[in-house]
Amino acid sequence: MDQIQPTTDPARPRNPLKSWFDVRGRKVGTWAFALNRLTAIGLTVYLFMHLIVLSTLLGGEEGWNTFLAIARSPLFLVLDVVLLFGVIYHALNGTRVALVGMGFAARNHKTLFWVLSAIGIVLFLVGAYLIFTL
Amino acid sequence: MQNTVSRRSLEQMSMERDRSGSLWIIQAFSGLFLVFILGMHMIAHHFIVEEGLRDYQQVLDYVANPVVFVIEILFVILATTHAMLGTRAIILDLRPSLGATRTLNWILGIIGGLTIAYGIWLAFALQRLVG
Repeated sequence: MDQIQPTTDPARPRNPLKSWFDVRGRKVGTWAFALNRLTAIGLTVYLFMHLIVLSTLLGGEEGWNTFLAIARSPLFLVLDVVLLFGVIYHALNGTRVALVGMGFAARNHKTLFWVLSAIGIVLFLVGAYLIFTL
Repeated sequence: MQNTVSRRSLEQMSMERDRSGSLWIIQAFSGLFLVFILGMHMIAHHFIVEEGLRDYQQVLDYVANPVVFVIEILFVILATTHAMLGTRAIILDLRPSLGATRTLNWILGIIGGLTIAYGIWLAFALQRLVG
């Protein structure tokens, strides 16, 4: 699948950052690439937030219970579902990129993309159901 | 204006390309390991626990398990390494100068190192709460 490359198309922005957001006529591979980067940025921010939240454990049970009360609110559960989507998408698309980059399944990369997408949708639906029902 | 690049610049660019290739391999393998470790982490912490989150004592009991302790430290190291390399790749797409790339390498190295050190310290501090 096509990756975003510096473009020579005069109709597209020359600035690489602007070209990420120029979605005119892009193929599914480019969308996959762009979404992979977007989820990567989100997960990196989440990694630091996760460490900050875990640090509240050092303050004793009261601090952790305050966090639990917030974490069980409906808005937070919706954010959990967004996080779950980011994790599953980034994990499966990253696996595809790594396998193809290492030379495995290079010829069948489109099939691999759709198979992993199907697995991802099932995992996401099961996970989202569990988030709201546990 | 002359359209030439000095030999020194070409060698530096070549070295930078080789380094990026090696870092891509590290990122790919850390990512593949993370898929397994993160999967286990999410199932253990959120999907087999009542109400989706462990209470205070449950978290401390969980971290007190030596196997879990090692896995969580491995998780911090792999996740941070993967995140810093990914951030570097995204910023390099903006085609910074060689000098800016070097500065970026240092900044991300320091942030990553501090994050890993803090994560490991936190894991030990939580273990001390149990003991």
